[in-house]
Amino acid sequence: MTLLVQIVLSGLVTGLIYMLIALGVTLLFGILRVVNFVHGELVMLSAFLIWWIGIDQGLTLFVAIPLAIIAAAIVGVLCQKFLFKRLQYDMLNCFIVGIGASFAIRSASWAIFGPEPQAIPAMLPGVLRIGGVFMAKQRLLAAAICAVLALALWAFLRFTRPGKAMRAVEQDREAAVLMGIDPESVYMSAFVISAALAAVGGLMLGTIFGVDPEMGAEPLLKSFIIVQIGGMGSIGGTVLAGLFIGVADSITGTLLGGELAFIIDFAILMLILIARPKGLFGYDA
Amino acid sequence: MRLPRRDFLAASTSVAALGARPALAADKEIVIACSLPLSGPAAPTGITTQRTVEHCCELISQEGIIIGGDRYKLTPKFYDNKYIPAEAVSVVEKVLADGVKYLFVTGSGNSVPVVGKTTEAKVLQLSGASGKEHLTAPRFPLSFRVQPTNETAYAVYPWLKTAFPGVKKVAHMDPSDEAGFTEAEDRTMIAAKNGLTNIGKEFFKRGSTDMYPVATRLVGMNPDIIDFGGTIGRDQGLAVKALRELGYKGQILLGYSDARSFVEIAGADAAEGTIMFDTLVEGKTPEQTAVVDWWVGKYGQPFPSYVFLMWDWPFIFADAIRKAQSIDTEKVAEALRTTVHKGVLGEERFGMKSVYGIDCSLTRQIPMSVIKGGKPVWLATIDWPAGV
Repeated sequence: MTLLVQIVLSGLVTGLIYMLIALGVTLLFGILRVVNFVHGELVMLSAFLIWWIGIDQGLTLFVAIPLAIIAAAIVGVLCQKFLFKRLQYDMLNCFIVGIGASFAIRSASWAIFGPEPQAIPAMLPGVLRIGGVFMAKQRLLAAAICAVLALALWAFLRFTRPGKAMRAVEQDREAAVLMGIDPESVYMSAFVISAALAAVGGLMLGTIFGVDPEMGAEPLLKSFIIVQIGGMGSIGGTVLAGLFIGVADSITGTLLGGELAFIIDFAILMLILIARPKGLFGYDA
Repeated sequence: MRLPRRDFLAASTSVAALGARPALAADKEIVIACSLPLSGPAAPTGITTQRTVEHCCELISQEGIIIGGDRYKLTPKFYDNKYIPAEAVSVVEKVLADGVKYLFVTGSGNSVPVVGKTTEAKVLQLSGASGKEHLTAPRFPLSFRVQPTNETAYAVYPWLKTAFPGVKKVAHMDPSDEAGFTEAEDRTMIAAKNGLTNIGKEFFKRGSTDMYPVATRLVGMNPDIIDFGGTIGRDQGLAVKALRELGYKGQILLGYSDARSFVEIAGADAAEGTIMFDTLVEGKTPEQTAVVDWWVGKYGQPFPSYVFLMWDWPFIFADAIRKAQSIDTEKVAEALRTTVHKGVLGEERFGMKSVYGIDCSLTRQIPMSVIKGGKPVWLATIDWPAGV
């Protein structure tokens, strides 16, 4: 029983972190129908910036975190203005250019930050032990922050004027324009929010798993699986799929060995897409 | 036209320098292709290796390799294999097309797929990799391994028994690839031969982000020691961190990576007490200190301990060419088998005929370190066991 609790708790915590990163992906897809391959590199760049400003330069995490979020938002907006907008948000072109930009950013980070893995110290060090179940406090903190941010995003989209504008553009761009909503400013806001989520995800991953130029690749892949299972553009679907994949990974990794985790993930993805091509909570674009 | 005095002096100096060259000018070169992971998760060790080999070849070239009346310099050409076997094969195909006769390659997954090709082309292959008969055997007479890897267990386990008598149960954790399977197989066998009980073997995907699943399985086995075998780089730090977070209190044995980088990732508390095989972090002899001074002088702190492991082989290789008095790869290979070199890690020679049927794997003393107070410190130096 203790083992089961340990496995499920570990999975939920990891799933919440991946879910946060996946939310940025699904937000952009929902509004722009763009699959942003640069998202994983924003995670990595933010983590490196936090490490560089807060640890290497010694300016503390309180300075580093907001600066990294701002920097990620700027990079996100630059991508929107100079890549995706120029490509008229065409899904295939953006997909291909996104992959190229992703490789370029990763290579640049090798040159700038070097190949050595770095670590961002835990904001909440130590381990919590309840009965026979152990969990690093930092993981619990990260999971809590991710959950709060997911809730905040949902509330933003549901209750605020800019959030409603995003949903309007998502549902019917032409009708939204007729209602006086400027889609370009909505797109820019979406990129800013998506990049900010990537930056926080980078912080969480950096404090738990360390920082290196390749760190964005696996979360991005997991994000795509989560977003596909949950349904592209669905916030609720992404949250549920993130938790589901986290627990599934933990169960397969612990009981069957880590190698099988990705196989199981993709098997689940295939089964769901065969049964429901738009994912569990997806809808027609 | 008026020649400025500075230009005149420069030109005169150049002419004088040319005139002063010895008769045996270093006009000929021996090219060694170096297939290393210069990008990707294994890049830290790859780049450290590149810098070390580059410098060692410069030192060798300054002295020159004299064969008959000719003086040769040793020129490394570096290729990025990204620690991807397919890339490593492409590198070797290019190297063979270029007519290069010597290859240095790191990583088991990069070395094993190419040994057939190099053997057929009579290219001398020097690998810094875990391996067994599929890499070094009588059917691959030109294949050598320049770093004791899985074989370190032959030296480490007997020492472990006496240094840590409380250790009875061993669990093994390795990446699920060529290196990991080789390491796990050898270490399990050697641990059993030394009277220890193997209670489990766990494999994980190299470069995994979350180590909790594999760590949970290992903690559940309740071992006295976990041997990380072929686990390297960031994976080590993340795995140790996960193990300690999940309440593991036993010993951890690992090697192949930079000690300071490991502590950085794992965190000082989690890393405390970790035993590191084939790891020397500071100069204990004048020769070792000179290596540290060179690195710190050129690249600054910190000094990566992996430099020591990659330092000696270019010199042994150069000695063998001198001994063979030929650049013919078969003659150099035979000379390598009998070359004894006094390197920064002591006396070194290619041995292990008793295991592989041919002297092909480097043997030498194995330095051991332990993490104390967040820093790696020297623990012991183990002699290579007799009869292996």
